[in-house]
Amino acid sequence: MALFPSTDRMKRYMRAMNAENMKEWKIELTYRVDFIRGMLEPLIFVFPYVLFAMSLMGGRTSSVLEELTGVSDGVTYTIIGYIFMGFLNTAVWGMGFALRKEQWYGTLESIFVMPVPRWVYVMGMALHSTVHQGIILFFQIAVVYVLFGVILNVQGVLPVLILVALMLISLVGLGLMVSGLALIFKEGWIVSEVLYSLITIVTPIAYPLAVLPPLLQKLSKAMPTTYAITGIRHFLIAENMEFPLWDAYSRLIVIGVCWVIMGLVIFHIVDRRVRREGTLAEY
Amino acid sequence: MFWAIFPILWVIPFIFQGEALVGGMNSPEFGELAGTERFVPFVLIGAIVSTYLFSSLYGMGGSIRMESYWGTLEYILGSPARKISVLMGKALSESISSTLFVATQMVICIFGFGLTLAVGKILPILLTMLLLVAGLYGMAIALAGVTLQIKESRSLVHTIEYLFYLFSPIRYPVGIHPLIASVSVIIPLTYALIAIRGVWLLNQPINALWRNIGILAVLDVVFIAFGYSIFYFMEKKVRKSGAVSQY
Repeated sequence: MALFPSTDRMKRYMRAMNAENMKEWKIELTYRVDFIRGMLEPLIFVFPYVLFAMSLMGGRTSSVLEELTGVSDGVTYTIIGYIFMGFLNTAVWGMGFALRKEQWYGTLESIFVMPVPRWVYVMGMALHSTVHQGIILFFQIAVVYVLFGVILNVQGVLPVLILVALMLISLVGLGLMVSGLALIFKEGWIVSEVLYSLITIVTPIAYPLAVLPPLLQKLSKAMPTTYAITGIRHFLIAENMEFPLWDAYSRLIVIGVCWVIMGLVIFHIVDRRVRREGTLAEY
Repeated sequence: MFWAIFPILWVIPFIFQGEALVGGMNSPEFGELAGTERFVPFVLIGAIVSTYLFSSLYGMGGSIRMESYWGTLEYILGSPARKISVLMGKALSESISSTLFVATQMVICIFGFGLTLAVGKILPILLTMLLLVAGLYGMAIALAGVTLQIKESRSLVHTIEYLFYLFSPIRYPVGIHPLIASVSVIIPLTYALIAIRGVWLLNQPINALWRNIGILAVLDVVFIAFGYSIFYFMEKKVRKSGAVSQY
């Protein structure tokens, strides 16, 4: 068997991914009120972090933050971190819960007997979640620009897109892992919530790496979100990075490859196990 | 285990954020708004008390939804028991489990984060929490009624949770913005948190907090009456439309 699928087969996989993506869009757009709520909710989620920062600083600037990062505007610093962390949501909730939703609809078995590998289905869900989160991100940037007057360096947009793309590779791996684990644990929301909470704590979203205790700093350096968020802030608001830029790119690539391989392996093992045990369709 | 531990872990990013912004665990600017410069105990108490919010928002509506999923909702609503007894039973079960979570969180905060709590303060804090629980479960009864009608209320509840976080002093003092301060006056959590922090953090005597406790008690009556009316109305509507058994 060839290591990589043929061009023809890849085309079929891409068609299946797109079909999954379109199916999700159709379901989402059927419930329009819920769709609008879903667009507004991530914005409301960011406000408490911003207001907390403002209540501590008594305004929007901090000399301590400037000393640590070179950025004095604590509001912009916090907002950038949290809106780009939204992509973590897509991995642990959007992708991770894809299979659980199909179990609930009662369509999981039908999808699993399709003539494409199961990971193709999860990748289709990843495509949908990424586009969805991308739209939310642009909406959030527009709103915070109006509300908080957040000024970003437009020239940094291209490298930021590269960093987001590299982070997404790792998050796809994480999504594969979570969706596999959801097949075993059934009530997989705990897996998603635990992973989301722990990654959020060790990622320097609204603070630099330097304020984390040494052990958490080490953990943080194994997270793709650390390099992506710090890099994104470096390009958009000139944050001083604690590691060279080349390190951010190279580590994102290495972590991405490792997490995707790990995700595929875990997903494959779980898929085989639930089929053998006959628990695939159990809700 | 999750609900006993994670609400406290969610506070950790705020602690790191505070350290990065003010270079320590005290902020004079925060003190002007909150009455205490120590923001860590402030957010920890917010996290502990908000456990009751999670429980009331997700517990009641969720349990009605689960009865519907199990196919037992019709039997419960058709039983000769008064609806208020059924709802109180569900609220009691939720509040007992939440109290266990809160007790665990208090222990974590005392031993893990160095929060201190004098024995003499426990009773006034418990009294305030009791009043808070009554108000929140009034709202939860309304949500249970809404769940009967719209079935899948989880998304709505999620949004309400975010709004509560935004408009009540769980993470920051509401005086940070006039709009937030004006919306917060209709939320029971606001008065409960002011009273609990007043006793716990600011060492205020309970008689200095009677005004907040009085408003909380009035809000309890309003929320319970409103919640039960909504439930009664929705239940009648759902029975008439024959949609009780629909999932």
